Amino acid sequence: MKRNGVKMIKINSKNVDVFYGKKQALFNINLDIEENQVTALIGPSGCGKSTFLRCLNRMNDVIDICKVQGQIIINNFDINDKSCDVVRLREKIGMVFQKPNPFPKTIYENVSYGPTIHGMAQSKSEMDEIVETSLKKAALWEEIKDRLHEPGTGLSGGQQQRLCIARAISVKPEVILMDEPCSALDPIATAQIEELIDELKKDHTIIIVTHSMAQAARVSQNTGFFHLGELIEHGSTDKIFKNPENKRTQDYITGRFG
Amino acid sequence: MNLILFIFIVLLGFTSYYFGRKKAYTIQSTNKRLTALPQFYGYYLAIWCAIPAFIIYSLWAIFEPTIVKLLILSDYANQGYLDDELNLIYEKTKALSRGQFTGEVTSFIQTSSEKYLNLRSIAQSSKVVIVLCIIIASVAYAYKRISSNNRTREPVEKFFKAVLFTASLAAILTTVGIVFSLIFQTVDFFKVIPLFDFVFGTHWYPAKAFVRDSSEALDPSMYSDTFGAVPIFAGTFFIAFIAMCVAIPIGLMSGIYLAEYASYKVRQYAKPLIEILAGIPTVVYGFFAALTVGPFLKDIGTAMGLEVSAESALAAGGVMGIMIIPFISSLSDDVITSVPQSLRDGSYAMGATKSETIKKVIFPAALPGIVGSILLGVSRAIGETMIVVMASGLAANLTLNPLESTSTITAQIVVILIGDQAFGDPKTQAAFALGMTLFLVTLSLNIFALRVVKKYREKYE
Repeated sequence: MKRNGVKMIKINSKNVDVFYGKKQALFNINLDIEENQVTALIGPSGCGKSTFLRCLNRMNDVIDICKVQGQIIINNFDINDKSCDVVRLREKIGMVFQKPNPFPKTIYENVSYGPTIHGMAQSKSEMDEIVETSLKKAALWEEIKDRLHEPGTGLSGGQQQRLCIARAISVKPEVILMDEPCSALDPIATAQIEELIDELKKDHTIIIVTHSMAQAARVSQNTGFFHLGELIEHGSTDKIFKNPENKRTQDYITGRFG
Repeated sequence: MNLILFIFIVLLGFTSYYFGRKKAYTIQSTNKRLTALPQFYGYYLAIWCAIPAFIIYSLWAIFEPTIVKLLILSDYANQGYLDDELNLIYEKTKALSRGQFTGEVTSFIQTSSEKYLNLRSIAQSSKVVIVLCIIIASVAYAYKRISSNNRTREPVEKFFKAVLFTASLAAILTTVGIVFSLIFQTVDFFKVIPLFDFVFGTHWYPAKAFVRDSSEALDPSMYSDTFGAVPIFAGTFFIAFIAMCVAIPIGLMSGIYLAEYASYKVRQYAKPLIEILAGIPTVVYGFFAALTVGPFLKDIGTAMGLEVSAESALAAGGVMGIMIIPFISSLSDDVITSVPQSLRDGSYAMGATKSETIKKVIFPAALPGIVGSILLGVSRAIGETMIVVMASGLAANLTLNPLESTSTITAQIVVILIGDQAFGDPKTQAAFALGMTLFLVTLSLNIFALRVVKKYREKYE
């Protein structure tokens, strides 16, 4: 999104290196993420795009041997700084995973999980409202409004993934990270999620990791191409797909490797 | 002799495996395609060699004594002997032929014993001959059948299936046998003692049943107020309750620590260490409870001005709880570890802390499995014997004071069956009735626990 003709940068990463034990997984990544736009991260398996995504909400903390170096600046604040409160950070930066992972609870409890943790609702009616808005924004409300108190695990794959999106947006995050959100879904459910992503970028900055070049081209405004732990090229999706500067980008996009 | 024959059959089986395989290789080398791998032909021949031989061998072993007995006793037929007397004659004959007979040797028995030895040696040698014939015949038959278009895979596979089936059948039949032996004795017991008195009576005093002289007739009225099982049921559940009060919190918390907080290295050492607790024999726990914990509690109690029995329910239950900790911690650790990582990630990504994630996502997801592990622990606590016998006293007090001594079903079974006992006596049968009760309680607990665990599995697989 441009304000007064200037691109608004939401996330600014500088010289990010990631190590798994002794093995280096990411090399000197410098990538700016534009606010209220969809940024796609593409590249062959094992290229580090998911690792980079998990740096942005410090999910790599969960893995013992993983070490992140460099700066990731969100709202003028380095999230790798010691003073960063991971709980607050993850409230601001939601995440949707590759495989739908609803909690073994009811649909309602799945969505109200985040707001409860962060104490966002003062009353039952307020919580009801948050749940309803989130489910509506995730385009799931109409399908499940009569069975809010049934288990979330009983939904279809596509519905489960939209439930996870509703769960992520229930705490009104500024950024939503999506790690191959459609790879476990059929084409119809994929189309629904893609439509939803387009809708969500009005209120959220979205970063999506995808294996499908067509999906990247369809949903994103910006694209970054990763290869062997390096960010080879990044820019507007149009430019990356139609006129890539780097030969490797071109080879990957035209399907010559990957 | 029998052992040699047995080993011989086994060796022949191995040999025929090699011959069968060799023939298959030979067929293969003439460029004919076999319908199975060569070793199947080996198995095929080995099975044909050993199995018919073993069947004949065991049938012989079963029927030989009966037939020999019939032949010996046929000499005494129609002479007006009673069955008991005939049996006695046969036993004498056998004893004499083994050279163990010490009484007066009559000429009849002398003849019989010679005949017996004679029959046995005929039987022995004919057994060897017949078994060998069977082996030769069946191996020859099977060897001839090995050819490129003969199917050996199916019969071999069927044979292995049959072996496995027999193994599982043996386990099931044993269980059924145990249950039946319990049922018959229990029914006999309730013929003398009314079920109502057993289930609702509050006096358990089986020693009273010792007083009866076996020559006297059985008088049910003298057993009133002897076999009222309420105090020992209460004692059983009370001690199990104390044990679970120790085992559930400690086991569960250490399980959660191991699964969620412990680093890989700590877990690697801590888990086996906790599991060592499960490997300590219950007798050791028993004297630990009786000689260390019991007196220790008594001393503390005395210092505090409480009256504590040296053999208290608290000591037995507490030590039993320690014994059960590894079951609960190890099982709940497994259950918690098997909660998919994606659920943890989902929760962390929402900004939940570790303890929130455990409390709100992982614990509820693992709950059915945890309940299962607790129920298995309970059924162990109820069935535990040694600790109670040693540490909790044998007098069946009806009490809810953990500082007094009380007794359990298992301990009473031990009390009843230690030393001399007469079969068919209500006192002995009482042990069977108690065993039956115990069996039913632990069985239903186990079934329930397995159901719960199974339900949990269906959720994620």
